[in-house]
Amino acid sequence: MAAIEAADLRRTYKTHTGTFRRKAKEIEAVRGISFSVEPGELFGLLGPNGAGKTTTIKMLITLLIPTSGSARVLGLDVVRQAREVRRRIGYVFGGERGVYERLSGYDNLRYFAELYGVPAREQKGRIEELLELVGLKGREHERAEGYSRGMKQRLHVARGLLHDPEVLFLDEPTIGLDPVGAREVRATIASLTEAGKTVLLTTHYMFEADALCDRIAVISKGSIVAEGTPLDLKRGVAQGSVVEIEVYGVADEAVERVRALGGVVAVAIEEREQAQVLVVQTEPEVELTQAILGHLNGSDVGRISRREPTLEDAYVALVSE
Amino acid sequence: MSSLRLLAVSWWLQFKMIMRSPFDGFGNVIYPLFFATTAFFVFRAGDSPRTLIYASFGAAVMGMWSSVSTSAGSAMQRERWWGTLELLVTTPRHFSLILLPTTLGLATVGIYNLAATLLWGRFLFGVHLTIEHPLLFALAVAGTVLSFAGLGFLFAVSFVRFRAAWVLGNFFEYPVWLICGFLVPLALLPGWVHPISWALAPTWGMSAIRESALGGSPLPELGACLGLGIGYVVLGVLVTDRVLRAARESGSLSLT
Amino acid sequence: MIVAARIFFVGGLTSFRALFYWLTPWIYIPTMLVAPLFQILLFAYIGRSAGLQSDKFYLIGNALQYSSIPCLFAMAQSIGGERFQETLSAILVSPAARIPLFFGRSLPVVLNGALVAAFSLGVGSLMLGVHLPASALAPLALVILIAAFSCTGIGLVNAAISLRVRENAVLSNVIFGFLLIFTGANVPLDALPGWMSTAAQGMPFTHAIAAARKLADGAGLEDVGTLVGAELLVGAIYGVAGFLLLRWFETLSRRHASLERS
Repeated sequence: MAAIEAADLRRTYKTHTGTFRRKAKEIEAVRGISFSVEPGELFGLLGPNGAGKTTTIKMLITLLIPTSGSARVLGLDVVRQAREVRRRIGYVFGGERGVYERLSGYDNLRYFAELYGVPAREQKGRIEELLELVGLKGREHERAEGYSRGMKQRLHVARGLLHDPEVLFLDEPTIGLDPVGAREVRATIASLTEAGKTVLLTTHYMFEADALCDRIAVISKGSIVAEGTPLDLKRGVAQGSVVEIEVYGVADEAVERVRALGGVVAVAIEEREQAQVLVVQTEPEVELTQAILGHLNGSDVGRISRREPTLEDAYVALVSE
Repeated sequence: MSSLRLLAVSWWLQFKMIMRSPFDGFGNVIYPLFFATTAFFVFRAGDSPRTLIYASFGAAVMGMWSSVSTSAGSAMQRERWWGTLELLVTTPRHFSLILLPTTLGLATVGIYNLAATLLWGRFLFGVHLTIEHPLLFALAVAGTVLSFAGLGFLFAVSFVRFRAAWVLGNFFEYPVWLICGFLVPLALLPGWVHPISWALAPTWGMSAIRESALGGSPLPELGACLGLGIGYVVLGVLVTDRVLRAARESGSLSLT
Repeated sequence: MIVAARIFFVGGLTSFRALFYWLTPWIYIPTMLVAPLFQILLFAYIGRSAGLQSDKFYLIGNALQYSSIPCLFAMAQSIGGERFQETLSAILVSPAARIPLFFGRSLPVVLNGALVAAFSLGVGSLMLGVHLPASALAPLALVILIAAFSCTGIGLVNAAISLRVRENAVLSNVIFGFLLIFTGANVPLDALPGWMSTAAQGMPFTHAIAAARKLADGAGLEDVGTLVGAELLVGAIYGVAGFLLLRWFETLSRRHASLERS
């Protein structure tokens, strides 16, 4: 039995535009997402902001009712058996909120331990253990308002693990963290699957998905555009090549012309300190450097290099269609 | 029994949080004291000392109501603002078991208000109070706190759809002060108001507190007070289920 | 109700920064139009319960006193608004622009406060069956306007302080509370201890309420001249004090590089 199963999940939001003459608008945030996660897997939902990752995860954790489609966690329907699902899952999201600032870290955990029905005699031990695991020991009796972002994040993780859930949902858990903090959180996440838990992770950091996940589904504009192991996805782009051209100020029309060239898979612009880098993915067996440079006539051009595509490039290509 | 334990632990932690905020804690006690002071001045200038005693208890319960009406209505809004509402909903317990302790915490602060007002009256206005039946008095106060918590809980789940829930909460402060017999005997109010007063637990709680202090028997009033309180909770639970379902359908449990 | 201001400052100020948020009917009607009526009724009945004063006494006292809510509320909103804070530094540097700007900012607040008081006075008199002589209506309107001006002055002081102090909600409540007790709104000044009635002379509303009561009893505008003048003076003093405070805070913040409260 799959740990998580999503079958054609859809979610539409109604919003209103304008303040005076309010018009209703329907936004399809999730357009028919289906995937399954096996027990013990670390599955990643990867996509840019607004792709529908958070909406998807919220449907799976019973916070949102799908407009259509269905989902099961551990065989239980997320809409009709919500309470049973909640007993067995943990939910962690990134960011500064979701913590009772006026309470200490310890009290925060105490509260949720009670809410999750952790037996009274086990609570103290479990809380101590988790504090140790996430590295908050020694600071647990300070008020959470004094915690750094990284500490709050780790408190979140501890909270999510209080009732020893079989499935853990992590929504952008490292967002806004400094590299050291993020690394610590990732190490904790990696250890979870070693303990036999199933983890579904959403992120927009490519390298994070690559490093942690057993399988990845790439989401863009509400649909899954690719799915597979990191290796599979890399293989998907291994054929072509990537040309990187340093430019000092490039006009948008020039970029569009490059994008329109036959044989070009995707074009992205990266900002690096003084200059911008035009990253052009090309299909295999094509040589487009001269053509590209032609279109960049008029801009100052620096270094040009050519390399193998990485998973990052695959991701960019997938989500910019 | 785990439900009782949950209620107790949650109540305690919520109460801690409330007391740690100068606004909800200390400020909550100060504000009604201004009204109490005004009332003391007014009644002191009046004829009998008995009226002043009557007013003392009335002003004290005004304070108790104030701490609930102000903040209870926006309890869910606050949780949403803190980002904790979602986390609470994803726990396997019924949401009313989670929300009720919050309003209970607010109502408990009311005990400070009660004490502060009575002491204020004693030391600044020389109102000497004797409490004839201390045990019954304590019971009456406890019963009032519980029923206020119940009414606050009903407010909290009912006002959640209203963006500025705090407006509605405030809206019920003055009217309850006016018609529940705190400083104005029901007899002075027009007849058509009476049924409304009788349907409100504060009326009975007030009566129970006064009766027990002045030597009568508060038990029937206490019974009515608690009965109404339970009614509010039951109503609140029914509303909770509908509200949460609607929130899950519309996606309004988080700020974004 | 000041309680509205309480919640507004604490939970709301950051999220409800839109300048005219409070103008939506869902907030305006309960807070500005219905609440003062309840306050009037509350104290009128308290008066009946204590066997003191008349409905008219409490009607006038509370209708005027309650206008402190819109004045404190809107003034803090106006000063605390982000857009204003950006321009605040610029304005405070150039002398010519200051006065018209503050005048411009305060005027709607004063007008709104006066409107709220006039509304609750009018509707309240109908509800309680209090008769106000027709000849008194125009002078009353003037007194109400001056009272609102006066309270907006203290509102400016309050708003300036709220720029520096974090938990300002308690201060606003305290101001409202003092105005409830000291100004003779509900307790005649001669029933207050000496020091309180002396302090009352320096508060907004005290003189205006006294003037309004006289007018409602049939006096003419000329009879209340001194009171009106006193109220204007009180308002002007608070207004100037608030302005100076703002300037001082702005200088301080230039040293500490932030006008936002920490």
